[in-house]
Amino acid sequence: MTKFTNGASIAVLALGLASGAQAGQFDGVTIDAKLIGGQQYEALYARIPEWEAATGAKVNIISKKNHFELDKEFKSDIAAGTTGWCVGSNHSSFAAQYPSLYTDLNGLIAQDSIDGFVGANIAAATLGGRLVMLPRAQFDVSALYYQKDLYTDEAKSTAFKAEYGYDLTVPETWAQVKDQAIFFADGPNFYGTQYAGKDEAIVGRYYEMVVAEGGKFFNDDFSPAFDSAEGKQALQWFVDLYDAKAVPAGTTNYLWDDLGNGFASGTIALNLDWPGWAGFFSDPSASKVAGNLGVAPAPKGSAGVRTGWSGFHGFSVTEQCDDKAAAASLVDFLTNEDSQKIESAAGPLPTRTAVWDYVTEDAKGDAFRTEVLAAFKETAKTAFAVPATPLWIEATNLIYPELQAAILSDKTVDEALADAAEAVDEMMREEGVY
Amino acid sequence: MKRFKMPPWLVLLLPAIIILSAVVLIPLVLSLYSSFTPYKLTRPESLYKWIGTFNYEKALGDTKFWAAFGRTILLLTIALNLEMLCGLGLALMVSKVTRGQRALRTAMMFPMMFSPILVGFQFKFIFNDNVGLVNNALQSLGITDMAIPWLVDGKLAMFAIIFAEMWTSTSVFAILILAGLFAIPQDPLEAAKVDGCTPIQSFRFVTLPFLMPFIYIAMAIRSLDVARAYDIVQIMTNGGPARRTELLWTLIGRTGYVDAKMGYANAMGYISIFLAIFFTIYFFRKLTAARAELGMGV
Repeated sequence: MTKFTNGASIAVLALGLASGAQAGQFDGVTIDAKLIGGQQYEALYARIPEWEAATGAKVNIISKKNHFELDKEFKSDIAAGTTGWCVGSNHSSFAAQYPSLYTDLNGLIAQDSIDGFVGANIAAATLGGRLVMLPRAQFDVSALYYQKDLYTDEAKSTAFKAEYGYDLTVPETWAQVKDQAIFFADGPNFYGTQYAGKDEAIVGRYYEMVVAEGGKFFNDDFSPAFDSAEGKQALQWFVDLYDAKAVPAGTTNYLWDDLGNGFASGTIALNLDWPGWAGFFSDPSASKVAGNLGVAPAPKGSAGVRTGWSGFHGFSVTEQCDDKAAAASLVDFLTNEDSQKIESAAGPLPTRTAVWDYVTEDAKGDAFRTEVLAAFKETAKTAFAVPATPLWIEATNLIYPELQAAILSDKTVDEALADAAEAVDEMMREEGVY
Repeated sequence: MKRFKMPPWLVLLLPAIIILSAVVLIPLVLSLYSSFTPYKLTRPESLYKWIGTFNYEKALGDTKFWAAFGRTILLLTIALNLEMLCGLGLALMVSKVTRGQRALRTAMMFPMMFSPILVGFQFKFIFNDNVGLVNNALQSLGITDMAIPWLVDGKLAMFAIIFAEMWTSTSVFAILILAGLFAIPQDPLEAAKVDGCTPIQSFRFVTLPFLMPFIYIAMAIRSLDVARAYDIVQIMTNGGPARRTELLWTLIGRTGYVDAKMGYANAMGYISIFLAIFFTIYFFRKLTAARAELGMGV
């Protein structure tokens, strides 16, 4: 046992050294951290003692919450001036909101370590020339999950071709998704598809659809650009599906958990969802679609562009941290290749090029995992982050009630988008953006 | 030199003054001040920029704010009256029970023991259109073959919220009215019986006037509760969809904490406080009048 412990310590030390830290380099330093909490994130945090052993520092986790709660806590910290803690979980969709909270990691992290990340991820983590976070292996982009047996049913294939004039195959465009969703729907027991219906979630889905239709969400000066022909076409897709009862009536109240559980209940044919759900959907004890599950790259809009609203989790170092070098070392450690291999082993997508290659190689022989990785890898190629404005979340809060109003026929698509654009324009002017 | 000595009344009041200042007065003054600034949580320096009554003018000219204001009053009116009627009925029935009344009174209070957040989750699940208990029951009984969108349709969603509010708080009325029923002297009731009053007349002209002070106290307490309704609504609908169930505090909460616009949220909050003050004054006036009618003084 002692021998094992000693061996483990040496291995731990070696790992720590491999991540760039030197033994005892941060003796006596305590790093206060505010991290995202949840079962799927714990495997990585279990590595923290390795970094502590390698560097002599201690990590004191002072807050562990989901990102929405952390977001409120960070804002309160900024307001109260209590930002002396060092390491915080961050997210690409939230990062722009804290311009003064986090420090620039360029210079604190070795360049070769930064170069190991996927270029698009580092670009999205860089705001105003400052690298505000290092991405962990929690890259999110959505691919299309579907029930395989729907495409092997002769009667369905024949009926579909007779009605729509083309073969019933896994959809490659959003127009096909709409046709098939309406065709498959048989409420209240079975629906063609579903979508997140509120908060930032529906705006994110709408945003990627606008891009897939060839439109822009914001102009270069961040004035609203979604009230365009492409924007209207994108919103019409959501409206048509709701009107045709191809989505559950309550979809405008659904968020990610409702969607995931809905698809796992076997009552949804096609479901655009995040990579983290692959394990849950394929688990027979949790999901009725296990064994009948297919995953395809996100479909394309009429402009030939795939939807690809993406985001990723990461870690940042605060500007007020007393020992930024130690904090940066911890962030580097938590996002290095070994850390990303551990996190991505459970399903989440990595953000380091070498780890993408590693998981692809590792999945060989496992047909489902290979299919999942191929679908997400293909989608990730053209993925895009949310617009880099600190007012993104605030803009989404103005837009989503209008999108809902159009979906629920309280307003026409034109009225809803005009009202949303007017509200966002007023907010941007008020904030002095232009 | 004579040492300054504070008068005894001030010494005795000082702890209370300090605590009240720290807990109530300073935050109140600070929030009032911030409502005249463009204060954003993420930009602390914005607290020092004076913009006068801009936030108030913006709120007063905002149709979304007034729609939420109107919806809050609607919720308040419907929920309070229904809770009062159900609570009165419940109290009258429980007061007639001769065996096991204590157990019943305790059971009646169970809904009050649940956190409003949990009540919100409970009713969100019950009214879920796809997997909810209500729709499944209605479909199983053959009453409908549709998925009724309880939390999506504007009227049904308000109904679901009022139902949740009533489930959790009707017992407040019942308990207070029951206390009133126990306090009613028997002489006037017996006199009414001797004079040939029907049970309905006895209730209308003897019991009810005696109960009114208790009803108004319950109304005043619950009106403050409902006027600041947030938790149940936040969980069940978050004010949506399409602002169909947006209430004052879901709107203010989102503006202050999600959009971080604390100055504007505080301005809306101060306007909303008038709603609570109005209802409190209204019910206390009613209470005073009811007490005066009974000769209980003011």
